[in-house]
Amino acid sequence: MMNSAFLKGVRVVAMTQVWAGGWMGGILSDMGAEVIKIESNKKIDILRRTIETEGDLNRGPNFNGYNRGTKSCNLNLKKPEGVELFKKLVKISDVVVENLAPKGMPGFGLDYNVLKEVKPDIIMVSVPGFGSTGPDKNYISYAATVQSIGGLEASFGYPGGEPSTPSIFMADPVGGMYGVLAVCSAVYYHHKTGKGQHVELAQSEAIMSLLPEVVMEYEMTGRIRPRMGNRDEIMAPHGCYPCNGKDKWVAIAVANDEEWQALCRVMGNPEWCKDEKFVDQFSRWQNQDELNKLIAGWTKDFTHYEVMHKLQKAGVAAGASLSTEEMNHDPHVKDRGALIELNSRKVGNTLTWRSPWKSALTASNPASPYFGEYNDYVFRTLLGLSDGEIAKLIGEEVIY
Amino acid sequence: MFYKVLEDVKVIEYGNMVSAPFCAKILADMGAEVIKIEKPCCGDESRGLEPFMNDSPGVERSGLFQYLNLNKKGITLNPENATGRKILNQLLKNADIFVENNPPKQMKALKLNYQRVKQINPHIVMTSITPFGQTGPYKDYKSCELINAHMGGVGYDSVREVDISHEPIKAPAHIFGFQAGLSAATATVGALFQQSVTGDGTYLDVSEQESIIQNMHSVFRYYYNKQIVNRTDVLDRAPAHILPCKDGYIHHANMEEAEWWHFVDLMGNPEWAKNELFKDYTSRSQFWDALKPLILDWTKEHTMDEIYRGSQARGSAIGALYTAKDMLADRQMAERGFFAEVEHPEIGKLKYPGVPYRFSGIPREQPASAPLLGQNNEEIYCGRLAYTKQDLVKLGEAGVI
Repeated sequence: MMNSAFLKGVRVVAMTQVWAGGWMGGILSDMGAEVIKIESNKKIDILRRTIETEGDLNRGPNFNGYNRGTKSCNLNLKKPEGVELFKKLVKISDVVVENLAPKGMPGFGLDYNVLKEVKPDIIMVSVPGFGSTGPDKNYISYAATVQSIGGLEASFGYPGGEPSTPSIFMADPVGGMYGVLAVCSAVYYHHKTGKGQHVELAQSEAIMSLLPEVVMEYEMTGRIRPRMGNRDEIMAPHGCYPCNGKDKWVAIAVANDEEWQALCRVMGNPEWCKDEKFVDQFSRWQNQDELNKLIAGWTKDFTHYEVMHKLQKAGVAAGASLSTEEMNHDPHVKDRGALIELNSRKVGNTLTWRSPWKSALTASNPASPYFGEYNDYVFRTLLGLSDGEIAKLIGEEVIY
Repeated sequence: MFYKVLEDVKVIEYGNMVSAPFCAKILADMGAEVIKIEKPCCGDESRGLEPFMNDSPGVERSGLFQYLNLNKKGITLNPENATGRKILNQLLKNADIFVENNPPKQMKALKLNYQRVKQINPHIVMTSITPFGQTGPYKDYKSCELINAHMGGVGYDSVREVDISHEPIKAPAHIFGFQAGLSAATATVGALFQQSVTGDGTYLDVSEQESIIQNMHSVFRYYYNKQIVNRTDVLDRAPAHILPCKDGYIHHANMEEAEWWHFVDLMGNPEWAKNELFKDYTSRSQFWDALKPLILDWTKEHTMDEIYRGSQARGSAIGALYTAKDMLADRQMAERGFFAEVEHPEIGKLKYPGVPYRFSGIPREQPASAPLLGQNNEEIYCGRLAYTKQDLVKLGEAGVI
């Protein structure tokens, strides 16, 4: 859903792959930019070939979700003619975004210095895993390697336990969002000054910038931040409790005595609530293991939604621990239109999310591009090539 | 600031804790002037949160607050008071951006909802960040980092080796509040660009829950599997796992065949690696339980640094679970100058995480420390709004500032 057409009139060439890159294209497209995604048979995005696609390049659920609203064209940058066409496209564009390995764009002869000669005020945004500079820039940057260096994983896990292997990968959505921020701020700067530039960022540093407590605790106290699971530094109860049903859970957070009393009331003021072990915040925090067991004894008789609504009504922060499936059916998520089914014509109908904001500037529901779907638009309409020239370039595996 | 990208952009932040303050920090890091409004009594709640310098609490000593508010100006003001609101309106009149993360009901009661704000300044970009957004059945639900994480699905979908007798857990610290601030800042700068082109203001309704949903690639797996009974139903079965080593943990994430065989090489090409069961990715996934102890025998004899650098130098995809100590000593971060040393009048010189981006066409500058509580009152109230110093005394006594 193009939900905030702020970048209307901005043309972006996307040399992007997999998650962080595809994701940038989708958000930029949500924001109204025209995003032209360069793809080639020489190296097909792995997300067009995941197991769910059954061999059809246009059915990749992740690919279609991330790259919503973009325009795919085929260009083989291993051929000199391909590189020349890329430059022609740059000439009529405002921004180039890429998340290849740092040697990727220079390898095609398309580093920033080259692009700048083609178009002096071009904006280039690069989003590699560890940055475009430094001794480790060429390290393999999967989300797992990047976010482990970024400090997300060492403090992720149950209290007192070993680190848990996360099944969420934040390096991509966070690095990608920073990439879009870089595009927006660079086009603003260009509008004010007429100047383009190269912005590069490291996904590992992007993760660190969201976890200052990890660094500041060490800087200020010399301690390494422990794994805390759902626990808080001082709030208690502050956890996730079992509910009626298979693997159903509810999170509850109590910030002060007033909320604690409200929680006790909703639980029917059982005798143990009056125990002096739970009399104030510090006592509750100190005795949280015991407290958590007692609360779990109450929550297990209700569904997670029942506990959430009961407690919210009484002014206590509580929320069901939702699975993707539950989220897809949740009345609030539905009301907000946070998850959307892409308008994908004949194949690959996909559930995805829109950018996490709403504004008055709302436009149409986007489709995800078929592999090379916009070849005609890019090469004929934008670059003015003739039918004969296009046929020749296809034959020579340049448009490929 | 770090880079003067948003020069002359004026931002008012009426925020608390993480999401709105981080959104405004990003704008301040890029050179916008951010005036942060804090409660006269005690300031932003994050001033009262750990970690504190030398474990000695104080309103100017929280590491979380200091990081979140680098490069800003700070004033105290109580908009619940009629005079306070009048002052805030004067500030909003001259601002380009207004960032806040208060409950929607409270903003309406203070006549600070967008309908009102745009009457004061039609050109303004107003960004509201709340747990569930401005509309929908949960818009007024009470929340915090823990509740947001679970309602955003990343509790249920958080860990790989799930034991469903253990509760779902959230990711560390306030990472999702920060992520919401990042999402909000991105949309805000987009709207600022539009404002600079057309002169139009706009309203941005940012939901933390929706910001969190972005992390869930299980959305796509669910779409094909169709049913989730418990947390193991949409698990990715790839043989990628965190493993203990001699002095810490590594994240083994080899996907490509070549990456695996480079790792085998690093381990000294043991006989067991030739076993038919481990011949390819699919088979290694299937027989992971047999493979894991064999790898552990080797990792336990080697340090995190040896394994991380040894494997990466060979082209094998392995990460190291860095703690703060490791990050601060890392050669890559040092070479790139990621950490920024900032001097503060009360807690002295410390290293803070910097910004992940580098602008080639704009020089990098030295960031400024976070404002002391009410530090810029005189500058703003007397310098810009024509109150006298004596007025400030009265406004203080009356609980306005």
